[in-house]
This record gives sequence, structure tokens and C-alpha cells, in this order.
Amino acid sequence: MTDPAALLRPSGASRYLGVLARYGIVWVTLALFVLLAATTDGFLAGPNLRNVLDQQATLLIAASVATLTMIAGGFDVSISAVAVAAPLVALRVENATGSVVLALLAGCVFGLVVGAANGSIVAFARINSFITTLATSFVVFGIGYVVSERSIMRPSSDSFRSIARTRVAELTTATWISLAVVVVAWITLAGTRFGRHVYATGGNAEAARLAGVRTRQVVVVVFALSGLAAGLAGVVAASRTISATPSDDFSFVFGVIAAIVVGGTSIAGGTGAVWRTLLGAFFIAFMVNGFNLHAIDPIWQRIIQGLVILVAVSTDAWSRARRA
Amino acid sequence: MADPQLAEPAHAERAHIELRGVSKRFGSTQAVDCADIVIRRGCIHGLVGENGAGKSTVGKVIAGVHTADSGTVVVDGRPCRFRSPRQAFSAGITTIAQELALVPDRSVVDNVFLGVESTRWGFVDRGDTLRRFEALIERSGISIDGDASVRQLSVAEQQRVEILRATARRSELIIMDEPSARLSVEERDQLHRLVRSLRDQNITVLFISHFLDEILDLADDITVMRDGRVVKNTEPSSETAGSLVEAMIGRKLEGNFPPKPPAPNPDQRSALTVRGLRPAGLTGSRPVGRAAPPAEAPSSAGLDLDVLPGEIVGIAGLVGSGRTEFVRSIYGADSAITGEVRVRGRDLGRLHPRRAIRSGMGLIPESRKEQGLMMDRSLRENVSLPHLRGVTRAGLVMRRAESDLVAETTANARVRGGGLDTPVRLLSGGNQQKCLFARWMSPGLRVLIADEPTRGVDIGSKRSIYDLISAAARDGLAVLIVSSELEELVGLCHRVIVMREGRFATEFSHPQLDEAQILRYAFGEEAAARRAS
Repeated sequence: MTDPAALLRPSGASRYLGVLARYGIVWVTLALFVLLAATTDGFLAGPNLRNVLDQQATLLIAASVATLTMIAGGFDVSISAVAVAAPLVALRVENATGSVVLALLAGCVFGLVVGAANGSIVAFARINSFITTLATSFVVFGIGYVVSERSIMRPSSDSFRSIARTRVAELTTATWISLAVVVVAWITLAGTRFGRHVYATGGNAEAARLAGVRTRQVVVVVFALSGLAAGLAGVVAASRTISATPSDDFSFVFGVIAAIVVGGTSIAGGTGAVWRTLLGAFFIAFMVNGFNLHAIDPIWQRIIQGLVILVAVSTDAWSRARRA
Repeated sequence: MADPQLAEPAHAERAHIELRGVSKRFGSTQAVDCADIVIRRGCIHGLVGENGAGKSTVGKVIAGVHTADSGTVVVDGRPCRFRSPRQAFSAGITTIAQELALVPDRSVVDNVFLGVESTRWGFVDRGDTLRRFEALIERSGISIDGDASVRQLSVAEQQRVEILRATARRSELIIMDEPSARLSVEERDQLHRLVRSLRDQNITVLFISHFLDEILDLADDITVMRDGRVVKNTEPSSETAGSLVEAMIGRKLEGNFPPKPPAPNPDQRSALTVRGLRPAGLTGSRPVGRAAPPAEAPSSAGLDLDVLPGEIVGIAGLVGSGRTEFVRSIYGADSAITGEVRVRGRDLGRLHPRRAIRSGMGLIPESRKEQGLMMDRSLRENVSLPHLRGVTRAGLVMRRAESDLVAETTANARVRGGGLDTPVRLLSGGNQQKCLFARWMSPGLRVLIADEPTRGVDIGSKRSIYDLISAAARDGLAVLIVSSELEELVGLCHRVIVMREGRFATEFSHPQLDEAQILRYAFGEEAAARRAS
């Protein structure tokens, strides 16, 4: 690169340490993969890995898009509620019309509308995004109960399961959908002008505004996209299990945030990447898979998983403090 | 209270703090290189140097924030090696940093005694704490409301709270890092009185500053640093601002300012036209507000301004005079109640940063960290942000085109110290400021507005920023500068408008520019008269 300004470069050890810290998640995920491949029978087997990919699909769909929200400085906990309610809306439409396409569309539009509402409240009423989405979560969970009349819902025809469970080139459509969403989110964030505006808004909203970025529009759009992705994830999940149940279970979003944060995207906004979330999700997935193959008690799995997230977040905080 | 003039010789021989061959390295940067400094007890010790000369690092080594790689810090004749600010603190050393460290939602009293509250049975003894506060106030002569919440105080008042806190803990050395950088002229005077009264109480002050006149006026001893080395230990009587500058930059400056660009032709159409502008922030801050407008208030008619292509117009005024609100509302950064802004004759309509940018305006805001830069993002992203449309194809940012654009503008703005993908956080203050110039120095720019363009910038970078501004005007840009440094306005501008209480008090043009006159109008005649008597 022709770079007249390049004069100062960190030297020797500190540069390697910097690269090591910056791409930490890459090395740990690779190391875990190699470790499991070497020590655990059945890990490298095709069916096992395909299974891991399939199981991660819904989380990846929601997490790769929620990464944009996080980088723009927002925090969306309504992902859980949308992922619960959207498939109920979708199945209501499917039961009424018999159309899978309309059902899928309804679930996605529902998520998009909820997300746009979240984003508008955050951007225009200036309410903290965690609180906003916590509050709308309850509303959306409630809508789920209303739509389903408080009972488990099933599709009227078998073709609903084809959304997630069709096999194309050995992989399920759930996997393909998740990969497509990851790629789109990745390109949007890393390559487009909108992606730059997302980074700028999260990095310093006032500076971004003065440089001509429509920061409020950016916030509305990232929340809307996050809602859309959560809706899609919910429908894909329902298609895998061929049913949807109303609940007020918040656990899905915790998995999503864990993947984003373990990947190294900062909850403070302004820095991060979709590939990080991809690796974060697979790091956790490999870990869980390894535990299962070794038949480790799920209770211990949780404890270890929690500690791993703490280590990831403190590494991030530590490297940030060192740079400051 | 001891007369400092008499007290001084008694302490003259007593070194309070002594640095012997202290070095400190960060990565590849030798921040401090074998520094020898003697700080006498009960004296004000001035520490000057460009940004990055190692002044702050010296302060931090003394205060235990950093540990020296080699050399020793001697306190009262005993070598000490502080490993944390806490250890230095218990040895009577307190730092008042540039970014103040107070708890914003607690009262002044709470902040002053934070951690050293009077307690009885483990509960805070409010009465005794208040008595201690009164005693402290009396001893120090600082006037401040103990019940006020710190959030509501001005920067200057918050600084006083920090000073009170230091004295409450019986600190013997107070390190002040750029304490006057964010103060107005009169607040600076008050700070100086306060620092002298600390000296009268036999408290040593290490005063780090950019302002040479201030150091010459205030300090008993002066240390000049350059590139991490101590180049001079001296005293104010044998120095001038010029000699200090020479020592700081190691070469003689032929005039601090570039030659003025030629006066613009008054017959051309103005680049920037402002008519009847009333910034919203100004009326809001008036205590009486709309209910009782002053008898004759020109501000109710709004502010008018014309800037010609190639003209540099300065806006002077005290902090709070409305100068920042005025320029920000031209750009649409803050809203205006009424008013019209035209760029090259075209009305912008509703004022908004995006419209301003599209019409060819650029704003360099007052605080580069808070309003200017995304500190964690790269030079590239910071500079190209307003120009992405031009390097985007089918929604995707073309990296090659972007690199060319950024490389060219950063080279023109003489940004040094990093590649295109270096986070701007790693650049020096001067280079960060030049990034903001690089951001706007594109062919479409017609009007450049810079609020405090050289705040917190070292002397070398200052000169290159002056060169940039001057070159911009030569290229036909209209430039509007707000500055607290009168010298800067006088040295650069064709015309200086003095603002006071939200109005234009007066205007001076090039041959008549004079710092004292500007100051007189900034304070208002009556206040100036009072100061003189």
C-alpha cells in the first residue's frame, strides 16, 4: 500500500502479542478443534460435524445480525421473545392459509416490525436499549400467548418442516440459511457504507452525527434487522421441531450474546465483526459437543461455559486497558 | 500565613522530590529518557514541553501510576519506588489529572472527603465532616457550596473540589496536569491565585502546562522537556516565552504564524452568509428567558455574518459567550430558533449537519475526543466517513479508491505517526487534530469551521495546523475559527468578531487586531475598567 503516513510500527514482541490478543478467538477455536479431533472419538465424523452445524443454525442467524446491533452500541434482549412469538404468528398464518411461504414471510415481518419499534423507541425516545427491549420482550411474549391461545401449535401440512429440514448437498436447509445470513451480515458490516455507519455510530455517535451520519436511522435499521433475524431464527427452529410453544423463556438471547461476546465484539459498541461471532458460536458449540461426547454432566457444562464467557470478557477488558 | 518571598530561601536547599536518571519506555517509545529533576519543597515547579515530550509521564512516575524502568525517585531524601498511586498517595502525593476524577452525582463535601470521612461506630459523622469542610474552606480561601452536586459544577469549580480534596488529605505535593487547558481567562486567574495560596501553605505544586506565559508568571522553577529528555532546568527570571519555545522545540521559530493570506476581494459573493441566526442553546441559558427580554436585545434580531472566499474570520469571547453555540448552529450541530444560512448564495433551509456537509461545510468541533473522532476506529474510517458516497459502488466501499482518498488528504494535512489502519487513539493529540483537518480537506469544501483548532496540541503541530488553515484560505476557502487563544486569532485572521453574552460586541479587521482590545470587549468595558482599577 502506498502510505506516506506510515512511520511508526510497533516492533517485535509487542506486535506479536498484539496479533495474538487481537485474533485470540481464532487460535482458541482452532486449538479446541484440533484438541477435540485428536482426543475425542466421533468428533471429526461427518454426521457429528453436520449435526453441530445444524444445531447452531438458529443461533447463528440471530447472532450474526445482532452483532451489528451490538457494534452500533445497542443491546437487543427481545431476540428471545421474537424467536418465541414469530413462529406462533407464522403457524397461525400457515394454519389459516396452508402456505409455507406466507408463514415464513409472516414470521419475518413480525420480527421486523418488533425490531423497528424497538429501534424507534431507542433512537427517538432515547431510552436505554437494554431496558427498552426488556420491556418489549414482555409485550411480545404476551402476543405469543394471545396468538397461540396458550397452547402448542403445529403446522397443518408436513411441508412446513421443509423450511429447515430439506437436505441440499448433505447439509440441511437450516444450515444453508444460517450460512447465507452470516455472509450477508458479514458483507453488510465489513463492506458497505451502511456498515461503516454502524461502526461510526457505535464508536462515537456524536462524532458520527457531525460527520453526516444519520445515527438515529442507523439505530432503527440495526434493531429492525435484528428483529427480522430473530423472527427467521424462530421459524427455522419451529420448522426443525415441527411445532412452536408459547413461553416466556429468555434463554435464547443469552446464547446469542455469549457467542457475540466470546467472539470478541465489545458490548461497549464500536468494535467487533461478524466473523468473530461465527467463531464465538462455534467455539461454544465445539465445547458443548466435546462435553456431550465425553458424557459430562450438563450441570457442570453450564458452570464451565459460564467461566469461559467470563474469561473471554475479561481478556477483552484487559487488552482494552492495555491499549489505553 | 508565611510570606512566600521570605519563606522561599528557607526551603531553597530542601529538595522535596528528586528524580535521578529516571527512564520509562512504552513499547518502542522512550517516553522519559534519563531525567534529572529537583523539585524544591513549597515551590511551584513548572514543567513544559511539547505533547509527547514526556511531561505527563514524569508526573505519573512520581505519582506511582507508572514505575520507572531505571533511575530513582527520591522523596525527602529517601529513595522511593511507588508501585501504585495509592502508595504515592500515602507519601503525600496527589495528582489532579486533565480528566477530573470526581463522583458526579455526589455533593462537594462527599467528594472532598471520599474515603477519609469522619466516622463514628462505622457510620459517617456528618456533623464532624461538615466542620472539617468549613475549616478547609477557611484555610484555603476557596469559595464553593458544599451541598452542590458535582455534576452541576463548571470545570473550574470541579478542579477546586479536587484541590480541596488534595488538601483534605494533607497532600504535600500536588501534581497538576494541564489544569488550565479547559479554563476561561478569568478562571485561569483564579486558579493561579489558588496555586499560589497552596505554596503559601508550604505545599509543593508540580504544574504541567502548555501555556508558557502562565508558567513564567507562576513558577519558581521551570523544567523544559523535549523527546523524553530534560533539556533545561531553569528559573523564570532568566527565561522568556521565546527562549522556552526554543528549548522545547530545539530550533528557533521565525514567527509562530504563517504569513497572512492576501485580503480577499470584497466584491465577490460571500461563501458563507448567516442572517438573523438565533442559536437555541443561548436563549435557553438565560435566567429570565423569553418571559422578560432585556430592554434592547440585538440578539433577539439574531446574528448576521458574511465570510468571503479566502477570508479567515475569528470569533473571540469568553467561555459561555455563545461563540461555540453560534458556530455549531450554523452547521446545524445544535438547533437554532430562527435564522438563515447560505453557502455561495444557496439557502440551506432547515439547518442540519448533513445539509451543511452537502453544501460544502465542514466542522471541526471543540472536543476531538467527544465530538470529533471515533477513537477506536482507524485513520481511514475516521477520515473517509463523510466522503463514503464518492467511493461506494453498488453499496460496497471501494477500498482502493478509499485508500487513495485518505492517503492523499492525510498527507496534505501532514498526519504522522500511523498507517491508514492505525486506530486514531494511538496518534498524538496534534496528529488526531490533523486527522479532522484531513477529513474535511477535500475538493468540495467551501467553508471550514474550526472550534478551538489547536486545543491540547503541541507547538510543532500548532504551527502545521496554522499552515493548513492559511493554505486553505489561499485556496479560496472561507474559514471561521473560534479560539480562546487570542494570539492565534490575531496571528491568523483577517477579521475578528468579539462575542459577549450571545451578541457580537465588536469587530476588528487585520491591521487593527490587538489582543488587549479584544479582551476588553470580551469582558465588556465595565468589567475591564473594574479589572484595571
